[in-house]
Amino acid sequence: MPGMKQSAKQIYNWLERRLQVEGPVKDAVLHKVPRNTASWWYVFGSAAFTLLMLQIVTGILLALVYVPSGAEAWNSLNILNHQVPLGWFLRAVHAWGSNFMVAVVFIHMAQVFLFGAYKFPRELTWTVGVFLLLMTLGMAFTGQVLRFDQDAYWGLGIGVFILSRVPIAGGSLVHLLLGGPTIAGATLSRCFALHVFVIPGTLLVLVAMHVWMVLKLGINEWPMPGRLVRKETYIEEYNKLAHEDGIPFVPGAFWKDLVFSAAVLAAVGVCAAVFGPSGPSGQPDPSITQTVPKPDFPFLWIYAVLSYLPPSMETPFILIAPILMIAGLLAVPFVASEGEKSWHRRPVAVLALSMVAVSWAVFTHLAMSTPWSPHMSAWSGDTLPVKYLREATPLVRQGAVIFQAKQCRNCHSIGGHGGERGPALDAVATRMTPDQMRYKVVTGGGNMPAYGKNLAPAEIEALVSFLETLHPKNEPPAFDPSQQANAATASTGGSGRP
Amino acid sequence: MRRGAMALALPLVFALAGCSRVPEATVEAPAPRPEAVMDFHALYSANCQACHGANGHGGPAMELGNPEYQALVDDATLRKWISGGMPGTEMPAFAQSAGGMLTDTQIGAIIAGMRKEWAKPNAFGGATPPAYAQDQAGDVKRGQATYQARCASCHQNSAREQVTSVVYLSLVSDQALRTIIVAGRVDIGQPDWRLATGKGVAGPLSGQDVTDIATYLGSLRNPAAVSAAPIPNPAGR
Ligand code: HEC
Ligand code: HEC
Ligand code: HEC
Repeated sequence: MPGMKQSAKQIYNWLERRLQVEGPVKDAVLHKVPRNTASWWYVFGSAAFTLLMLQIVTGILLALVYVPSGAEAWNSLNILNHQVPLGWFLRAVHAWGSNFMVAVVFIHMAQVFLFGAYKFPRELTWTVGVFLLLMTLGMAFTGQVLRFDQDAYWGLGIGVFILSRVPIAGGSLVHLLLGGPTIAGATLSRCFALHVFVIPGTLLVLVAMHVWMVLKLGINEWPMPGRLVRKETYIEEYNKLAHEDGIPFVPGAFWKDLVFSAAVLAAVGVCAAVFGPSGPSGQPDPSITQTVPKPDFPFLWIYAVLSYLPPSMETPFILIAPILMIAGLLAVPFVASEGEKSWHRRPVAVLALSMVAVSWAVFTHLAMSTPWSPHMSAWSGDTLPVKYLREATPLVRQGAVIFQAKQCRNCHSIGGHGGERGPALDAVATRMTPDQMRYKVVTGGGNMPAYGKNLAPAEIEALVSFLETLHPKNEPPAFDPSQQANAATASTGGSGRP
Repeated sequence: MRRGAMALALPLVFALAGCSRVPEATVEAPAPRPEAVMDFHALYSANCQACHGANGHGGPAMELGNPEYQALVDDATLRKWISGGMPGTEMPAFAQSAGGMLTDTQIGAIIAGMRKEWAKPNAFGGATPPAYAQDQAGDVKRGQATYQARCASCHQNSAREQVTSVVYLSLVSDQALRTIIVAGRVDIGQPDWRLATGKGVAGPLSGQDVTDIATYLGSLRNPAAVSAAPIPNPAGR
């Protein structure tokens, strides 16, 4: 026994002589941190790191079975789900790990922001953190594409849509991402390369930088109202705090990190076991239009925002908003690198954060609860209530046929069936005169396509005569004595969803 | 402190809510590909019933569930219209070869299903209807006279006049008109070619009568004459 211990020690010494890591590791582990940083609020960063490790391990395991080819990807996921023992669990852990990682990174960022931890001298740590956030989102995005099912198509569709709006370079960017003009096998290869080489590589380098700086600059002290950051004095003050009222990082602060990371891993496991893997949903065949695909959770909000935006706003918003958001995040530590750290004295920061959180939650909720996208089979599958046609004239009946044939039904419900992108039209005649309807159909507006060029005059007349009949028996149709006034209101009226 | 903690807790709560909200649930077998669906009811209700009505009755377009219609038309014709669409009407082409979503086998399943569910033996009660397709030349003058004599009685009052309206006729084909005249539509009260309801009116329409009426109505069709109704104030765009 003592002999074995002896030789282990020898091997260790041999290695240490050459590697010389003992010193730095000891320094890192035992360096003193202010006592009050051993807080449950300071555990998110390490949890994000743990989740990253989980993703790498599960990702490597998945890559053993997954085939990144357009023809095989979907099948290989089904094989994982159904044939490989616990394959479904592996997929589920990777998928939920991704959801958790996005969430934890966001929470970590919110916490850092709220605690003023980005202030001098940690500006660069924050800046690198912003890029880590973007990388994490990039991983989540490319990851959903690798599923290569219909939801993947939809998520990618949104990305492509956003890229395509970039002036001048738009077309080439789309080409670069898709590996061609359309989503195809080459797209999958590109996303695979991004997801397993490019982004993770960058991510690991940035993580190393990020952690290095955290070790070197020390963990942000607990903010105290009135204790201001000043570049001239901060370092000295911090060192004093760490030495006079400090504890060694391990185990003083570290055990909370460990406990929280373990809890997060357990939560991932439970979610994975209970909710299972996501998808693959239907095959990624663009000709299958009978489904309502949705992008993955972290990107849902974009979907709702896009649905709400009037078309004229879409391009400016899509192009400018992301740049503003990223620029804003990057600017934070430089705009406010000194001064108050405590949230008690930073009402604007607290307000801004709450607003972002609330609007994100609202949009995500809307995207989840509202069937935004058109119902693709309503035009041929949803019947009109028979009573609406009981007194129909031949022309009205033709109008109803055109209403179905031109797929108005995919966005507009009648009798409770059909899409909900536009308003239900059961009582449209009580709020619009025929002229207003004609105007709306021809010129569109507010997420309603303009049908002007796509409908023959006879079709428009038939359509309008059908719409005219859509009012409850006891409620008279809308009537406007002044034709001119109609025109004015028609151009501004009907402002979308209630 | 409390305010801050709340602002912090908010995203956490939503993140956790997210975990429980996405109910993609446990592993399911993938849904069958759409072209693998062969059940008549599934096919009909997904592809046809919006226009032709639930169970083939009461929709805005032709009453496919009318036994007389089923007796009148042969399989080849049905396949022709369903596969390639009916030119001059809003009947879309469903065959994949024509840009639709259904395979030939699925169209066969729909035809077989319609026959099984809707066809009745002896639908015409022994009578012989005029041919489904026009088989001789028609005459506009004669058609107008026949229309006045045989159809106007029901179609002269204000609402039903629209059978002769240019707008209506611009949207329907000769064959669609002919089918309606011959097979009728039980669901909306349009009688079949026999038109007979007491009053000692002349008997059933002959094949020639039907052709003449369809020709007459066809002669009124003139899409160019349907001017776009003035769209008030389109200037803004
Ligand atoms: C892509 C989805 C979409 C399609 C397809 C569509 N609409 Fe709309 N429609 C909308 C939206 C969204 C609005 C609300 C527009 C607004 O905000 O003013 C709307 C508004 C309307 C209105 C005004 C209703 C009101 O109460 O203000 C009418 C009438 C209408 N559509 C008729 C039609 C007809 C007829 C068709 C088929 C030719 C059609 N729509 C096809 C999305 C659609
Ligand atoms: C968008 C509306 C629409 C849909 C969906 C539709 N049809 Fe039609 N169909 C029409 C119209 C319009 C006509 C012309 C006849 C008429 O209006 O009476 C027609 C005509 C037909 C005819 C020929 C009638 C004749 O005169 O002999 C057949 C058969 C038919 N449809 C079958 C189908 C089947 C089967 C489906 C589903 C696979 C279907 N249709 C779906 C609108 C539709
Ligand atoms: C017994 C009364 C009656 C007679 C006679 C009659 N119809 Fe009709 N017809 C109706 C009714 C009822 C409807 C359905 C209500 C409507 O469309 O106004 C109708 C509807 C129609 C339609 C529209 C069908 C559709 O799918 O929208 C056409 C076309 C038509 N009739 C043509 C004719 C022609 C041509 C004749 C003469 C050969 C004729 N009708 C004789 C009662 C009649």
